[in-house]
Formats: sequence, structure tokens, C-alpha cells
Amino acid sequence: MLERELLVANKLGLHARATAKLVQLLSGFRSSATLIAKGREVNAKSIMGVMLLAAGHGTKVMLRLEGEDEAEAMEAATALFERKFDEES
Amino acid sequence: MAVGILLVTHPGIGSALLATASTLLNGNLPLRAEAFEVPYDGDPDALLPQASAAMRRVDGGDGVLILTDLYGATPSNLAARLARLGTPARRVSALSLPMLMRVMNYPELALDELPAVASAGARNGVIFDDA
Repeated sequence: MLERELLVANKLGLHARATAKLVQLLSGFRSSATLIAKGREVNAKSIMGVMLLAAGHGTKVMLRLEGEDEAEAMEAATALFERKFDEES
Repeated sequence: MAVGILLVTHPGIGSALLATASTLLNGNLPLRAEAFEVPYDGDPDALLPQASAAMRRVDGGDGVLILTDLYGATPSNLAARLARLGTPARRVSALSLPMLMRVMNYPELALDELPAVASAGARNGVIFDDA
């Protein structure tokens, strides 16, 4: 099991398109994924679930992954957050 | 004594729903209503003044019911900021035609009672076809 705190650094926060990129990325891995923010835990492979967090710019979220490809998934997810979901040039 | 209705949505959605509700009610909407649409690459900071102006236009003194299409998306996040500007406001998401029609059916209700009405309208709008 891996857990890492990630920062939502892009301007619009975890809005619909950013969420979709994250969910699409995580859904390609076998590991289960949970996103924790503002006291709530949601399935990180569910777009509607993640949107419920309404995690805006500056929010810190915890990503928890469990599975045989958890390390790879965590690297990929971390990179996506660091690239600000490829939204800013 | 009437609450104003402000729809804050992705492009095409609020205006279409409002136009349809208006047509279905034979051109007579019982409450002041406007649709504010957020462009896909819109800057929320730049849009806030325009959205706020729309909110002021529908406010008749008894607050504004803000209806958004998708919770957590940019229009909904903009609406969250609107709701904190000072005008009494309540926000309900997952706007649909049944929700809007239900709200328009109860124009005499106070702002605090409308979210429950909107929510019931949306939920009760889901009907499975028995066939």
C-alpha cells in the first residue's frame, strides 16, 4: 500500500477535465485507488466521486494505492499532478 | 416577495433549459431567471463580475437560488464564490429540466425551502419505463 500527499496546483483545481484525466490514468492500473481530501474519502477511479471533493487550487489531497502496480501508478499520478494536468503552458 | 433564479452552467446548457422551461410554461416564468454560461477556457476571476451582475439582476430582494449543472466543475466553483458575495443565496447542483420546472411551480416559497423542492423535482423526474 502506498500513500502520498499531492498538491492540486493547477488554476482551476480538480475540475471536470482534470478529474477525468486523473481517473482515466488510474483506471489503467490494477491497483485500487482512494483519494482523501477535506475529511472525505472517495474512489479515485470514479469521476463523480472525485468531483464531489471540489478540491480547488491549493488543496492538498492524499492518494492511496493498493495493488501489484501501485508504485508505477503512484509515479504516473504524481507526474500528472506536477504537470498541473497539462493545463498550463 | 420572490426569489430569483440563476443558472450557472457549461456552454449551451443553462440557456437551453431556461428557454425550454419558458416555452413549456407558455412564455410566463413566474420567477426572474437568467442563465450564465461559463466558456470552456473561461477565467473564473474575470467572469466573477459578470456572474455577479447577473445575480443582481435576478435578485428581487429575497435572495437567489443558484442552480448548477455539475458539482465540482468550474461553473459550480464559480457559483460557490457567487454564493459568498453577500446576496442571500443557496446552491443546488445537477440542474435538469424536471428540477427547473419544479422550482417554477413553487414561486411563492422562500429561499430556504427551495433547495429541497429543487432536489425532489430532480429525483422525481427519474421514471423507469415499464415496457
